Order: sequence, then structure tokens, then C-alpha cells
Amino acid sequence: MIKENIVKIVQNKFPEKIEEVPFVGVDVAFKVDKDLILKVCQFAKETPELSFDLLACMTCIDYVDHMEVVYNLFSFTHRHKIAIKTSLLRDGELDSVTPAWNAANWHEREIAELFGITFKNHPDPRPILLPEDWDEGFPMRKDWEGKDFVRLPKK
Amino acid sequence: MEKTGTEEFIVNMGPQHPSTHGVCRLLLKMDGEVIVDLVPIVGYLHRALEKIAENRTYLQYIPYTDRIDYVSAMFCNHGFCMAVEKLAGIEVPERAEYIRVIMDELNRIASHLIWLGTFSLDLGAVTPFLYCFREREMIMDLIEMTCGQRITFNYMRVGGVSRDLPDQFIPKAKEFIEYFKPRVDEYEAILTENPIFLGRTKGVGILDKKTAIDYSVTGPNLRASGLKWDLRKKEPYSVYDRFDFEIPTGTKSDTWDRYIVRIQEMRQANRIVEQALDSIPEGEIKAKTKPVFKPPQGEAYVRIESTRGEMGFYVISDGSTIPYRVKLRTASFSNLAALPEMARGWKIADLVAIFASLDVIMPDVDR
Repeated sequence: MIKENIVKIVQNKFPEKIEEVPFVGVDVAFKVDKDLILKVCQFAKETPELSFDLLACMTCIDYVDHMEVVYNLFSFTHRHKIAIKTSLLRDGELDSVTPAWNAANWHEREIAELFGITFKNHPDPRPILLPEDWDEGFPMRKDWEGKDFVRLPKK
Repeated sequence: MEKTGTEEFIVNMGPQHPSTHGVCRLLLKMDGEVIVDLVPIVGYLHRALEKIAENRTYLQYIPYTDRIDYVSAMFCNHGFCMAVEKLAGIEVPERAEYIRVIMDELNRIASHLIWLGTFSLDLGAVTPFLYCFREREMIMDLIEMTCGQRITFNYMRVGGVSRDLPDQFIPKAKEFIEYFKPRVDEYEAILTENPIFLGRTKGVGILDKKTAIDYSVTGPNLRASGLKWDLRKKEPYSVYDRFDFEIPTGTKSDTWDRYIVRIQEMRQANRIVEQALDSIPEGEIKAKTKPVFKPPQGEAYVRIESTRGEMGFYVISDGSTIPYRVKLRTASFSNLAALPEMARGWKIADLVAIFASLDVIMPDVDR
């Protein structure tokens, strides 16, 4: 019952900034404005009817003209799961959600070095997976070129 | 009088250290013998598996998923295939689902055995290591009999599994289950009440429930922190809802609890295999898919309960033969991030026990 209400509850708090999007495997997915992301995340975590206490997954997708950051949240109390999406420019800046979940720390470090997004107010913005002397750009971007990297033709 | 004492200093542990289980580097800030703070440095095994996914067809990517967590490769196969099936709306035949459950649970036992062996080895007990590898060898034989591989299985396919169980499999597996039941008691007889083992593990490295959830710690580590949460039970996928099993939990959230939860999980996994072998139906082992497989446009996030916790696959399709993006949410990545919370205030020897009890697999962290 509450599952249909998730969007409504968020919409009451942030009117006209929420847009539902299709997503398989979650109860509901919606898109929010990038400046609101930290507020929406904290709201989703702290509101008792939502209480999304687990940041299950966080990732970024490069759509060439823009980037999309996706947060998969889950609530142990109510057992519902949602995905929150936000889109931003390449080389854009986004608020870090580490105040809401410590788990975001490593995920954001990974996204920052692989996609080139800057997370504002991140407590520890060091690279995580790539070598220390890496200087070949952001490898997960779609237009990245590496010296041994050959792209498979699309069919 | 001037205050006497030692200055804080930095000790580097790893990346090549016998108890880091792969290549993980831990920067320890020490005050004498006590750990003040710790920074895990990872990435030594980064193989860009997510980038590779964007350059392979769906079928070609399945062998790569084996390499995410090579100690429990069946789960990686299963998770990826499940995500693609959800995306494409493919129904998996019942027999294939049973085979998947049997393979998953056998793999879970094998993976827990590796963990138990290396965990006890880190604490200085060599005997359990030999016992564990003796039993694991039998599981490897069973899986090899089915798919021809012992570590990187490449067994599951979108829509089912690559081949049916051979005739000798079910009797052999039943034989193994009966053989394995008393073996768990044997491990417990060596470790569970052993005073040296208790001294090394009881009350060491406490991770309370709230911190665990804050760091997205999942799997046996979360259950040891007292949360009764298992996706197989609470959000059943495949045919897990048909089997009777329990979710073991801990009470003290310490290293010993993480040990006992996994010991009990081996028993439960054994029970599931037993029930699945008794009730496995006849029938198809793979749904029909087109030779050139193109799932429709869309995105899916699917999670399964792997040996180490929640394993998530986020697959985005743009309607072509190649995935647009695959994100691997691995349990070890999040579990390792919580290590500093557990290790502060303990000594290096305790850190070895805590780190081993987390059951972190480095390729699973770095991907």
C-alpha cells in the first residue's frame, strides 16, 4: 500500500521537482533536480514512513551529452526499494550524500575517478581503484580512448 | 615532570601480506601497539570489468562475471543472468531454477570452507585448513562433473543453464550431503569452544547493527550484527521460497559471531541442497532465446544473496546486442569500507582476525 505513496510523500515535500521514470526491479523510480539530491536523500532516510536506511547501490551512467547518477535505496523497516536518479552535465558537480550514508564514501570516490564528476563536501576525495600515477582521463566515459582499447562494433 | 610516551607512527601492512587474502594494503596509524586509525587502499586487482561489459555481447560477458568473485563464481553468473532475464522478460524453466539453487548452495559451502580454512590459518590453526580443503575438493568434483570447470564455471546462461546434470550427479551429491553433515561438527569440535580461539575472537572487532547498515554491510556480517536479513528468505528469487531453512544470526556482533553464523550457514546450505535434490523436477533446462540476443530497451537492478552479501547487477540495455552499462554492486566493496570502524582500538594481531572474519575477497572489491 505504502509503495504507491512513496512518490506522493516525496512530492509533498518537494513539489514539481519529482518525475517518475521506468525501472525494472524496484518499486518505484523517480528523477530529481541535482541541487536537491542531498536534501531528498536525507528526507528519504529520515522520514519514518520511508526510512531508507540502506544505500544498496550507487552508480553513474554516461549518456554522452549528460551524466546520470543513480541511487538504489532500500528500507529494512518497510522492505520497499526505490531508485533516485539525477542528471547533470559532464564535469558537473554534485553534493556528496555521505552525510546520509557512510557507504556513499567509496562509491563516490569510484564515480569521481572513473567518470570525472566532482562531489562537493566529500570527506575523502582521493582516487580509489586506478593506479596512483593514472593520467589518461576518465576511463568509464563512452568516448574514452586508450592505447590498447578497441571498441566492438554495435549491431 | 615531562610526560613520557610514544609518538604515533604509520605502519604499512600489505599489499603482499599473507593475511590480506589477495592484494590489499592497509595503512595503520599506530600508538604503540594499538591501532588508532586505518586506511584500506584497494584497486590492485582492478580489471575494469564494468568497462569490458560495454564491449562484449551479453553471452560473451558471462565468463567475465566468473572473475568478479572467483571463490563463488556461480552467484556472479546467476545474478547477471537474472538481471538480463528480468530485462528481457524471460521465464526460466523450473528444472533450471532447481539446478541453479543446487549449484549456488554447493558453491556457498565451498566458499565458506575456503573462508573457514584461511580464517583458522590466520589464527594459527592449521588442521581445519586441511579438513576444509578436503571437503571442498569433493564439491569441486561435483561441479566439474556438471560444467567441466572447477573455479570459473561459466555454467549459467540467459534463460537457464548450459547443460543438464549428468546421471551420476544426484547420487554423488546425496552421498556428499550425508558425508558433510558430521564434518561441520568436526570443525566445530576443533574451534568453537577452543580457549585459544575464543581468546582471539570473543568480543573482538565489534560492528554494531546501526554502523553496519550505515556502511551497507550485508550478508553474514550483517546477520552476525543481529539483523535477521537474508534475501533468499525475505525477498525470494529463483525457487528459494520452496525450501525450508533458517537464517542464523549473532548477538554480540563480534568476530566469533561472524564465525558461528557462517558455520551455521553451511548446515543450512546443505539442507537446501538436500531438499532440492529430492524435489528436482524433470524438464527443460533452458528457455529458448534468439541466437542474436537483444533485450529490449530499459534498465534493471537485480540483487541476490551471494556468499558475501548482497550482490547487485544493474544492467542497462539500449536494445542492441551489447549492454549499454553494467554496474556490479559487490558485497566485499561495502564490507571492506567498514573495516576501520571495527579495527580502531585493537592490536595488529586482532586486525588479522577481524579482517579474516569479514570474508573479503579482493577481486570482488576491485572488479
